[in-house]
Order: sequence, then C-alpha cells, then structure tokens
Amino acid sequence: MTSTNTTARTGMLDTFLRYGFLIVFAGFFALFTVVNPIFVTPGNILNIVEGSAVLLILALGMTLVVSMGGIDLSVGIALDFGAAFAVVAMKNYGIDWSTAVLIGIAGGTLVGGLNAILVVGLNVSPFLATLGTFFIGSSVQRIFTNGGGPISYRKMPEEFRNLALGDVFGIPSEVIIALVLLAIYFVVLQRSIFGRRAHAIGMQTSAALVAGIKVKLYVALGFVLASGTCAIGGIIAAANMRMFTPLAGFSYLMDAIAAVFIGAAINARGRPNVMGTVVGVLFLAMVTNGLNLMGLDFNTKDALSGLILVGALALAVSQQKRG
Amino acid sequence: MRSLTLTRLVGIAPLLIFVAMLAYIGFNAPNFFTVTTADLVLKQSIPVVVVSLGLAIVVMAGGDDIVAGGIDLSIPSTAALAASITALLVTNMNQPLIVGLLAALAAALAIGLVNALLVTRINMTPLLATLASSVAIVGIASVVTSSRRINVTDPAIVFIRDGCILGISADVVLVAILVFVAFHLIHRTRWGMNMQAVGGSRDAAEISGIPVKRFLFSSFVLAALAGWLAAPFVLARGSGVSPGVEENLLIEMVLATFLGAAFSPRRVVTLWGAVLGAILVAAVSIGFKSMGVNVFWTGLIKGSLILIVVALAAVSSRTRT
Repeated sequence: MTSTNTTARTGMLDTFLRYGFLIVFAGFFALFTVVNPIFVTPGNILNIVEGSAVLLILALGMTLVVSMGGIDLSVGIALDFGAAFAVVAMKNYGIDWSTAVLIGIAGGTLVGGLNAILVVGLNVSPFLATLGTFFIGSSVQRIFTNGGGPISYRKMPEEFRNLALGDVFGIPSEVIIALVLLAIYFVVLQRSIFGRRAHAIGMQTSAALVAGIKVKLYVALGFVLASGTCAIGGIIAAANMRMFTPLAGFSYLMDAIAAVFIGAAINARGRPNVMGTVVGVLFLAMVTNGLNLMGLDFNTKDALSGLILVGALALAVSQQKRG
Repeated sequence: MRSLTLTRLVGIAPLLIFVAMLAYIGFNAPNFFTVTTADLVLKQSIPVVVVSLGLAIVVMAGGDDIVAGGIDLSIPSTAALAASITALLVTNMNQPLIVGLLAALAAALAIGLVNALLVTRINMTPLLATLASSVAIVGIASVVTSSRRINVTDPAIVFIRDGCILGISADVVLVAILVFVAFHLIHRTRWGMNMQAVGGSRDAAEISGIPVKRFLFSSFVLAALAGWLAAPFVLARGSGVSPGVEENLLIEMVLATFLGAAFSPRRVVTLWGAVLGAILVAAVSIGFKSMGVNVFWTGLIKGSLILIVVALAAVSSRTRT
C-alpha cells in the first residue's frame, strides 16, 4: 500500500520535473494574463516578439559557439561594432545604406576574428579570450566616442531605418530578419553536416579530432559567424534608435547566455539547440514584458526577474537530469 | 640544457612582462617607486584581493575548466549586497555597525547556500548558476538601496579607510592577515589539502574516499563569505555604497585570478597568484594614470597586456605537454 503510494508520488514528481519548465512557462503566462489582461492582446504579444528579435539574433550566435563547447562573452561587443561601423560608414563617409550594412557585418566579424585567433591560434580558453576581447572592445568604443557618448544620425536613409521599423504584410521587418536567421541557423546547426560536426566538437573535442573533423577550422568559423550574426542585431538596434550607443550590447549578454542554457536544459540530451534557444528567448521576453505590465517599481522588477531566472534555470536543469 | 633554460624562461615570461612594464612606468613616471605609491597600489587592490581569494578557492576545489569546473561570478555582487545591507542598517536605520555586518553575513551565507545547492544538488554548471544568481543578487541589492547611493560615516569604516596599524594602512594590514589565514586554511590544513585534491582530479578524489560534493559545497559557501568580507572594504573605499560597484569588481576579480594562474609555474589558479595578479593590475593602472595616459586608453592597454600574458601562458603550457 505504502509502496504504490510512493511510486505514484515519484511518478507525479517526475512528470512535474519533466514538463516542469513548460508548466512554469504556462504558469507565468496565466499569471500575467490574470494580473493584466492587456498581456494577451495580439498587440502585446507582437510587442513581446518584436522586442525579442535582437536578443534572439544574439542568442543564435551564442548557440553556435556553445554547441562547439565554447562561450562568447563578446557578443555585445560584436553588436556594438556592427552598429558603429554601419552608422559611421553612412554618416561620415556617405556610403550607400546596403553597403553600410555589409560594412557593419564585417566590423562585427573583426571581433569574432580576434576571438578565433586567440582561441584557435593561441590556445587561450574561450572564456578568457572573449573576456579579453570584451575588455578591449569596450575600451576601443570609449576611445572612439571620446568617453561613450552616442553617435546619432537623424537623417538616416529610409531604407536603413526600415530594417527595424518597416513591415512586410504587417509583420515588423526585424521579426522577419530574425526569423530568416532562425531558419538558417536551424538548418545549419540541426540539419546539416556542419551542425553535426559542430555538436560533435562540443560533446568531445578529442573524439571529433580523431574522427578527422577539422576542429580548429570549425571553432574559428563558429566565432566569426557568431559575431557576424550579432552585428546584424546591432544594425537593427542602430536603425531602431537612429544612433549608435556605445556599450549597449552588454545588456544582452546575460540574457543570451541564459536563453541558450535554458534551451540546452529542456533538450532531452541536454544539448544547446536552436529551437530550445527560441523558447528561452521567448520566456525571458515574456517575463520582462509581464513584469512591466504589472506596474512594479523598477528595482523590484529587476530583483524579481533575477529570481525568476535562477528558478527557471534550476528547474530546467533539474528536469534535464531526470528526463 | 639550452632548451631547459628556454622553457624556464618562457615559464616566467608572463611575470617578466609585468616587471618590464612596471620598470618602463618607473622610468617615465616621477615618484612611481615610492612608499606612497606602493601604499596606494595596495589600497587600490584591496577589495579585488578579497573577492579573488574566494574565486581562487572555488576554482581550486572545482577544477580550472572554466565552463565545467569551478567558478563563482556572484562574489562581487554578494559583496555589493552585503555592503548595501550594512549601509542601509547603519546609515538609514541607525543600527550599530555590527548589526549591519551580521545581517549582511546572513544574506551572504544564504547566497552561498543557494549557489552550493544549485551546483551540487541540481547539477547546474557553476558558470551558469553563479551568473544567474549574480543577476538576482544585483536586483535584490538595488531593492535594498533603491538604486541610490548610501553614505557610511561609521568610525570603524573610516578607520579602515584612513587609519594606520603600526605605521601601515589599516586596510592593508587587515587584508594581509586575511590572506595569511586563507593560505593557512588551504595549504596547511588537512581540509585544504583534500579540497585541492578534489580540484586536481575529481575522480581520483572520489576513489580515495574524499566526499567530493561536500567540498564543492563548502567552496561556494567560502566564496560567499569572501564576498561578505569584502563588504567593509568596499564601504571604506567608497565611503559608502553606490549602485554598480560590483561591475568593475567582477572584471578585475576574474582578471586577477586567472592572471595569477599565468604566473604560477604549473599554470594553475593559486591564492598567491590571485593576490599577485590583483596587485600587479592595480600597479599598472596607477602607473599609467601617473604617466598621464588617457583613462580610456588604460583599459585598452590593460586588456591587451592581460591577453598577451594569458596567451603566452597557454602557448608555453602547450609546448610543455
């Protein structure tokens, strides 16, 4: 009698832990809806999706690097560089907007290039290498802007502005850009040979090496592609604000890492993956939006979202161990 | 024989680079090699030294793989929260300093407990667990202070800032004692030895019957304790607590600790390395400042210098194996 009872209880506990994260996701959704019905209006849902476009782009780049067993603390710098190069190219050199976008992306890949040289060429651990790049990149921005003042460009070409503010059939263009990148990342990372090999490197580098995978080339490429992706996020942010704000990318770093690890945790095999990252990004964006709508004081909101982050990650990870 | 000398030379190269840098500063900046500057350097390095001791202990217990091994990024935010709680109680609620510090200690222990549970029970990677908890801690600290600066004029805190013990700055003396206690704990006790064994090889430690999880658990509690111990020095240096105090501390702590690994002959994180790293980084910053280098450039030079040192350490450890 007692034994059946215990099994039933463990069964329920297991179920809860397996679907725990999704239950929490749904629970918060319900809570925010009850507190403020505006939360579920299509307009607000669109707000959440639109507000998470830049974070999703960054988190995709991060997913690639983490899949290969690394980490990239300089995603924010790549974002800043993307914005800075594009804005300065248009404003100071009168370069046409589409070329400016390419210059922005190229500027972002400088960051990834430096990471690749440090990690692959000099064998520095990704954490320290990208921390160093972060340090140098922040300093370069301060020097360039003489202390960190934003570079605004009010007369930005309409087409460039539309990268953030335009829409196609009512869908904001930044959402479309994010979705296109999402599709590309999904195919490349989850459905291609490149992706298989990237995950193989992340799971066991030595085995990947023995299997004949060009580990160094892949890891270098991973850092460069990730930073190029982040630069696109920076270009959208610049188009949105009509300016380049130095060091703005830093605020995305923690969320990008959290999204990737939430995604990895809800994956059955505990691997970082593109769709999991999307769930992570949407969860974080939902919590931020929901807490905003609750009309809490700024500081309380910060503390609550931090505590929710710890709880959600703990739940997601514990569920991965059981599931 | 020649290659042996060469290896040894590469081994101490990171330290040589710093010595060369300091010599260069010494030739170019007037009064750099003086007691006053030395005192300034030590004073500047103090909160970083204290939090770096905590990080070094976590890394020594958890192994130095940064993603999977031991790391605690929440120590600086713990220090900020502890300082905030103390400041709130002492200044805004007129409580004695000891009450403020005890309340802060309770908060720090709670943080250590949560980090330890997240890592040992839920099996979160320490990097993720402490990164997430640091976000929450900073949030709580901003609730405590309402994101405002709180001044602290308690005589004990002022004494730590301005006082002298036997002719040496009080804070330097206190931290020196702390460093020796930590060193004794880690290198001279059975407990410390066992903890290092866990960090050296978790499997080997497990087979030898060392309760691995218990050591990992206590390393995170000790780290939070280091955050608490840093709080009075944070309060003394700032004559109170300001929002955002943890950001700089975080970067400097990580740099000092892992720079310390570059100085050690086996390229592992050590207590002495962390202390030396913190002092050298402070010395170089102050040196550039006294040479009149633009403060925006200091970050760039410091960052590049550190990358060079870390890269050099990585290259030389690769040639050895």
